[in-house]
Amino acid sequence: MDFNAFKEAVIAKCAELGITEYELYYQNAESTSIGAFQHEINQFTCSTEGGVCFRCIYGGKMGYASTEDLSAQQAASVVEKAVDNASCLEAEEQVFLCEGGQEYQPLEDRSYPLPGTEEIISTVLATQDKLYQADPAVIDGSQTQGVAERSEIAIYNSKGLDLHSVTTLSGLIAVAVVTNGQEMANDYQIKLEKLDTIDTDALTKKAAATAKQKLGGDVAPTGQYPVVFDPEAMSDLLQTFSGIFSSEAAQKGLSKLADKEGQVIASEVVTLVDDPFHKSNPGARNFDAEGSPTYCKNVIENGVFNTLLYNLKTAAVAGKKTTGNASKPGYAGAVGISPFTMYIAPGSVSEDELVAQAGEGVYINSLGGLHAGADPISGDFSLQSSGFMIRGGKKAEYVKSFTVAGNFYEMLKNIKTVASNLEMPGMSGFGSPSVLVEGLSVAGK
Amino acid sequence: MISREVCQRVLSKAVSTGADYAELFAENTVNHSINMIASKVDAIKDGVIAGAAIRVYKGLRSVMASTVDTSEAGLLRCAEQAAEALGQGTAEIDIVLKERIFGDIHPVKIVPSSIGNKEKVAILKEGYFAAKDYDQSITQVSGTLMDVDHNILIANSEGIYAQDRQVRTRIAINAVADKGDGAQTGSCAPGRRMGLEMFDFIDPKNVGIHAAKQAVTMAGAGYCPAGVMPVAIDNGFGGVIFHEACGHSLEASSVAYGRSQFVGKLGQKIANEKVTAIDDGTIANAWGSINVDDEGTPAQKNVLIENGVLKSYMIDKMGGRRMGMASTGNARRQSYAYTPTSRMTNTYIAAGEDKNEDIIASIEYGLYAKEMGGGSVNPVTGEFNFSVNEGYMVRNGKICEPVRGASLVGKGSEVIQNIDMVGTDLDMGQGMCGSSSGSVPTNVGQPLIRVSTITVGGR
Repeated sequence: MDFNAFKEAVIAKCAELGITEYELYYQNAESTSIGAFQHEINQFTCSTEGGVCFRCIYGGKMGYASTEDLSAQQAASVVEKAVDNASCLEAEEQVFLCEGGQEYQPLEDRSYPLPGTEEIISTVLATQDKLYQADPAVIDGSQTQGVAERSEIAIYNSKGLDLHSVTTLSGLIAVAVVTNGQEMANDYQIKLEKLDTIDTDALTKKAAATAKQKLGGDVAPTGQYPVVFDPEAMSDLLQTFSGIFSSEAAQKGLSKLADKEGQVIASEVVTLVDDPFHKSNPGARNFDAEGSPTYCKNVIENGVFNTLLYNLKTAAVAGKKTTGNASKPGYAGAVGISPFTMYIAPGSVSEDELVAQAGEGVYINSLGGLHAGADPISGDFSLQSSGFMIRGGKKAEYVKSFTVAGNFYEMLKNIKTVASNLEMPGMSGFGSPSVLVEGLSVAGK
Repeated sequence: MISREVCQRVLSKAVSTGADYAELFAENTVNHSINMIASKVDAIKDGVIAGAAIRVYKGLRSVMASTVDTSEAGLLRCAEQAAEALGQGTAEIDIVLKERIFGDIHPVKIVPSSIGNKEKVAILKEGYFAAKDYDQSITQVSGTLMDVDHNILIANSEGIYAQDRQVRTRIAINAVADKGDGAQTGSCAPGRRMGLEMFDFIDPKNVGIHAAKQAVTMAGAGYCPAGVMPVAIDNGFGGVIFHEACGHSLEASSVAYGRSQFVGKLGQKIANEKVTAIDDGTIANAWGSINVDDEGTPAQKNVLIENGVLKSYMIDKMGGRRMGMASTGNARRQSYAYTPTSRMTNTYIAAGEDKNEDIIASIEYGLYAKEMGGGSVNPVTGEFNFSVNEGYMVRNGKICEPVRGASLVGKGSEVIQNIDMVGTDLDMGQGMCGSSSGSVPTNVGQPLIRVSTITVGGR
């Protein structure tokens, strides 16, 4: 059955069991992905994926059950399981469903007609050819992928909430593999927009040139240096540590930012924004995963910590209002907290000036192992890095296979300068300009 | 799940435009998890994942279409979509399916879905409170007990019609300790391809104590110094070094496309002669084990490297077509929504002959990595990283004070030459490995080993 029929079956089951407070969260995504290897299309995937998560308040606790099988039998089963699960919970925080009838900031429809199969295939093949033409060092193994996806989210609850959102995205991913005869290197570039507006010359040239830059290169010398993180590296670092801004982490003692609202936690050049409406975010929505209205906020303003991010439950614990940051890791997940589009606001100096300020240091444009080498609870990180030495205020030779180590909480205070080159790389929803940080440890040779 | 007759009709539709191979993969998975934090049961979730995917090949081209509609009409639509995407043509092969029953080498005594929440909560609490009550410096503990009942059906144009039921159970305890100089974490997360009988020999209390002890030890530790030094990596999850430094680069998903440091190296010496490495999906009830891979090929024990010489890659069907080699039973996918590719199962460095005490005694100044965290690798360059969850300095052949915040980085092809001592006490650790076909359970393993020189990231 479809979602609406499933919904009616669930409503009937709730009535039968006397369940009066409940929510259905529906997510469905249809995606197409087409890839080329050498000069042929070698991989074509079209998938439909999604399901429904049912939540209900039973005995003051929130029980969950989800399914991808929208059958009558499952409609009854998710209600029974969620009630059973709720009856075994012990957490004492009050739980809430979002009230209906609230005002939502208008959001223009950003969805667009997705490219058809033919258009994706021709764009992918043309881009793949350009990848080979971009540089003689480009070899087989290089790959272009085109994607198109339409996703849909609906939230319905017993308090009169009935929200629906459709988002579309399309884009290209170019992976360049290059060799100098002795070794190989690679780089990928992603561009998410309408296929016919993507500058595929620029995309493929950047992938090939960046990959080529990584050939050769020595290990950086061990020491303490000023470090410049480029927009991509800083966005990755920000994403890795974004959990520290969650009120849930703070309330559970898993973030050092508990009780720090209103205090200085970063250098005064740092302003950190969370903007659910940001133009770079294809998943922009005016409601969060509980259905609360979303809005743009400065999490840090000129170094002062304005607010943690809240959902309904944690806001009630803190005696505050939700910031509209309820989130779910997929439809089946429990409601947690995360930013929508989080970025460090740009400063006024160019990246070249930033590098000049560093004098003698290291410029990092790639970080690896963020899921392992960074501990969001302590803030400590020790991460595989590559980039360039900075000598005499200019980017010098390429260096790789070294680590940069420090502590994110301390680093926020040690950001000396923020450049003007704000970028929102990839599709992670995090962004940053290049930043200059004093005194991090580099381990290399 | 889906009858042989329906599969036959669906596959016939799938090959109707000239495919030379077609496959139907259907799945019905029941997930259950219980979470605790702040000494309370905080969340209990049930989930059903149900859907199917159809793949067709023609030469080196592959098409996959997936659907959540597993009715015959839904599957036929999905097959038509795949056939159309492959191109214009007429059927060239007949579909004749013969039922095949793979022996179950991973018996399950207590199917988790037959046990209620109360009993499972009691198990989790044993582990949880063992950690919470371990020491006054413990500031927070979180715990999860999860079980998965993953039912798959595979039918393909080679005639296979087979099903498998994969039951997995795992407990994870994370502890946070703070002695006033910053919070540190410890974790322990054993899992098996079996039911709740796992707790007959894994005491949840020991899981909690293990996590808490690590957090408390690291909370008292200073930062690891940075530099290049010898490192002894202990058994169990220490095997992540081989998984990242070498394993991923031996998967057909890298090798078949020329994106690996080990392309064209079969029969050549790529590692230190002390290194013999194996991927074995047949270990009874091990976390990464399978009866049959997600393309219907039975699990195998594959010797990857023998005394330093490269013997085998890990290969799926499409990778095998490109490489001109047979599948090694390594095709895996997180779910029907992912295109399967070659992945590891239980991958380990086999036991050697060096004594543990000799390995430590051989290090004048270096690091002893007792417990490793996760890591990652770029198979093209072989550059890898992984973190050390519990490390100790070694001076003059003796294990000294604990150190926090260490990570190890290097290049796979170099580091496997530098594994120059291999101990005798092989053990495995459990992880979830993420790659293009999603997140799949894998074991890593090794005895205590010495890496003669590697870059240690610290401060």
